[in-house]
Amino acid sequence: MATTPATSTAPVQSPVPTERVGPPSRPTAPLRDISIMIGGQGGDGTLTVSDLLGRYFHARGLYIYTARAVLSRIRGGHADASTRAHVEPVWAQKPVQDVLVAFDDDAVKVGLKELDPHGFVLADQGSVKTEGANIYHLPLSITAASKVGNGLYKNTVAYGALSALLGFDVAAARGVIEKRFGRRGGDALNFNLKAFDLGRELVKEAGLPAPLFTVAAGSAKDHILISGNQACALGFVVGGGRFFSGYPITPATSIMENLDKMLPQFDGIVRQVEDELGAINMAIGAAYVGARAMTATSGPGLSLMTEAMGHAGEAEVPLVIVDCQRVGPSTGEPTRHEQSDLLFVVFASHGEFPRFVLAPGYASDVFEITVQAVNLAEKWQIPVFIMLDNDESENTQTTPGFDLSKVHIDRGKLLRQEELDKMPAYKRYEFTSDGISPRSVPGMKGGVSQTTGNEHDEWGHVSVNPENRRKMMAKRMNRLELAKQDLPAPHLWGDEKARIGFIGFGSTYGAIREAQRDLKEKGVPTRFFQARTLWPVPKEALATFLEGLDVAFVVEHNYTGQFARLIRQEMPEAASKLRSLVRYDGLAFRSPDLVHPVEEFRARSG
Amino acid sequence: MPEVVKPIPSTWCPGCGDFGVMAALKNSLKALSVPTEETVIVGGIGCSGGIHNFLDGYGFHSLHGRLLPTALGAKLANPKLTVIAVGGDGDGYAIGMGHFIHSLKKNVDITYIVMNNETYGLTKGQPSPTAKVGFHGNLEGPFDAVLTALSVSSAGYIARGFSGAPREAAQYITEAIRYNKERRGFAFVEILSPCVTYNDTYQLWRQQVESVEKIEGYDKSDRAKAFSTVLQVKERGKIPVGQIFRVADDKGAPALDKTLLPMVERSPASADISLEHNLPKYQKLLASLG
Repeated sequence: MATTPATSTAPVQSPVPTERVGPPSRPTAPLRDISIMIGGQGGDGTLTVSDLLGRYFHARGLYIYTARAVLSRIRGGHADASTRAHVEPVWAQKPVQDVLVAFDDDAVKVGLKELDPHGFVLADQGSVKTEGANIYHLPLSITAASKVGNGLYKNTVAYGALSALLGFDVAAARGVIEKRFGRRGGDALNFNLKAFDLGRELVKEAGLPAPLFTVAAGSAKDHILISGNQACALGFVVGGGRFFSGYPITPATSIMENLDKMLPQFDGIVRQVEDELGAINMAIGAAYVGARAMTATSGPGLSLMTEAMGHAGEAEVPLVIVDCQRVGPSTGEPTRHEQSDLLFVVFASHGEFPRFVLAPGYASDVFEITVQAVNLAEKWQIPVFIMLDNDESENTQTTPGFDLSKVHIDRGKLLRQEELDKMPAYKRYEFTSDGISPRSVPGMKGGVSQTTGNEHDEWGHVSVNPENRRKMMAKRMNRLELAKQDLPAPHLWGDEKARIGFIGFGSTYGAIREAQRDLKEKGVPTRFFQARTLWPVPKEALATFLEGLDVAFVVEHNYTGQFARLIRQEMPEAASKLRSLVRYDGLAFRSPDLVHPVEEFRARSG
Repeated sequence: MPEVVKPIPSTWCPGCGDFGVMAALKNSLKALSVPTEETVIVGGIGCSGGIHNFLDGYGFHSLHGRLLPTALGAKLANPKLTVIAVGGDGDGYAIGMGHFIHSLKKNVDITYIVMNNETYGLTKGQPSPTAKVGFHGNLEGPFDAVLTALSVSSAGYIARGFSGAPREAAQYITEAIRYNKERRGFAFVEILSPCVTYNDTYQLWRQQVESVEKIEGYDKSDRAKAFSTVLQVKERGKIPVGQIFRVADDKGAPALDKTLLPMVERSPASADISLEHNLPKYQKLLASLG
């Protein structure tokens, strides 16, 4: 085990001076890429402002990426959120902020470090004491309390003020409020609209030169704004998933919450159970009787589930397990970002059994891969893992609407009663050419079986016969080889002739795609291997990818460079071309973190 | 009909109490005419947990201590099935204790049979959670599952039998399965089942068992009375057996599977998951996300 991190890329500081002389210069052209951060105490409604902004920009045809708790490194009850909007697709946070909305001094303190020189701070007068040429104090909470009747409406007052400062289309900005609060009934809508108008008036009364700058409109109108966990829940339902059992854990909980709303409409069931042992074993019980079943968790819960993973493997029960990774080990940092469960998931549980480990990179990919995972589990009768990560699970992003026409339900060798009736004998673990045995489920006549986590013979009877053991091991393990063509293929992005490559999985997709765009602007073409199946390692595809490259940076959020290690283990011949780029401070890569090492590499190699 | 897996001869020691339990379960399933293909027996780990191999019906051998969530998952996914979870006292009251309590709380229509021999027989006689102080150097007082079950407000059917009295044991199991079939909830039946090799208590238990139902004035639908009677019998050095508690017909917590799936025909396992069948509803779901 390395005692130093696999070649680490220190987070690149944004090239922003924190002190300035003279008045800031504002951009004259509409911004094509804007990021607005909102910070304050938990309960200040930062998420509401972020959500309203996301909806507004979405309605204006921009691509959105929202993140929350970006600054929760600050002690105490600090909470914040950021909304990024771009004319072109975005999948990650912007390295700098253009606007900071601050409900307290902590927000100013940290947010200023990330503020672009052309940006400004909208500060809540009375709550924020920090002064500065670029900090505009408006009485957001005072106005909300005195004129709307409740200080909590300061978030919508802030949204109104921003709409003036950034030259929003007023009707569209109001429309977002109507859509968001209209359904709730009562006075919520009227109070919010009033707060919005008051915010606009505050800007006027203060005599601020509104708009300070404006934001371009885009053409991404058919896109939906969705989080990875929402996409996963949807993919499970559309993939025919009908049973989910789980235990609340950050950042996986919202999969369960989303499914709780969706599944009952389809005769499905969601159960929150006593612990993760119960969660996975209950899902196994449901899968055993023929329901497509899934559980979702994060590191600590996954550790508890390990024994049952092997049970599903040995008993050949189809099961999908989602791991929404967070910072580990142990309790780690529950709300922070990491991808450090990879080797654990690939090798978890005692003994040896086949499993597939899949990793989608963005919301629509999460949907697609979840549908596929449910099919793969049933077709190959083994546990299938979906690896998400904190930012992918929780952050929302715009994605094209999901294409249902591509969805295909494959129940594999699940028998129909009429097929079973014609069989001379039914053996649950019958040896077959592809290792998959026809499967009956309880309730089917003539399909009575024994399903067990013990080694067994074809009938399901416990067996310690050495020859049977060899054959049963081959029956199960051969699937890793046989299923290859069935597994999600990698996506390749960028210039086919590039000499510099990136390899990544999960939400690093975003930072890598953006780094590619930034490098291309600097005249550096790159190629990106977005791994969507992590186990079995897609060796052939990787070998082809590496052929024309001088170097491939393996980008991942962990200390030891786990994916790079896995690739080296499986493909020793590839080792010389791989370089690890890791980040393990709880925050996600942003484009400069990846651009910088590439430039360094180019400088060194002349 | 295809040829299917046949029950194998049991692996238990001659004279094992588990034979009595198995005979009782067999008779109950027969008495209630439960079709073989609708019978699911979920076994735990330990001597008793192998029972599904020795009986007709769909058998599932789960992990140590996890037979209950597995059985609940099976029943919730297809409430048409008759699901019986069978394990030992180590399985149920040590490693699986959390699931035991929560299964009583969840109140799903399955029958849970625990063969209690007060020892870990398969690993050669270590004290189990129900072992007496002094047994193999045991320093901890024994745990009483009946009292625990009584303390869970949703627990509606609690019985304890003795494998030395298989007719009564069969009666408790039959009633338990019938209770499930009426969709009234979870049924718990503990059967004292001596381990002839490591804790041969046949003679002792035969003298100690005392049926609470034979105590004058006993009302098995009175939870408080059941609790105090069980304690009193124990204080006399006896082991309370019988149908200890059965919630009155007009009372009791709703069975979870009945609440979630009022019609047994429509369940997660039987749902039509084809795209064609669901497309309009999927489209509506996607549209609602906007």
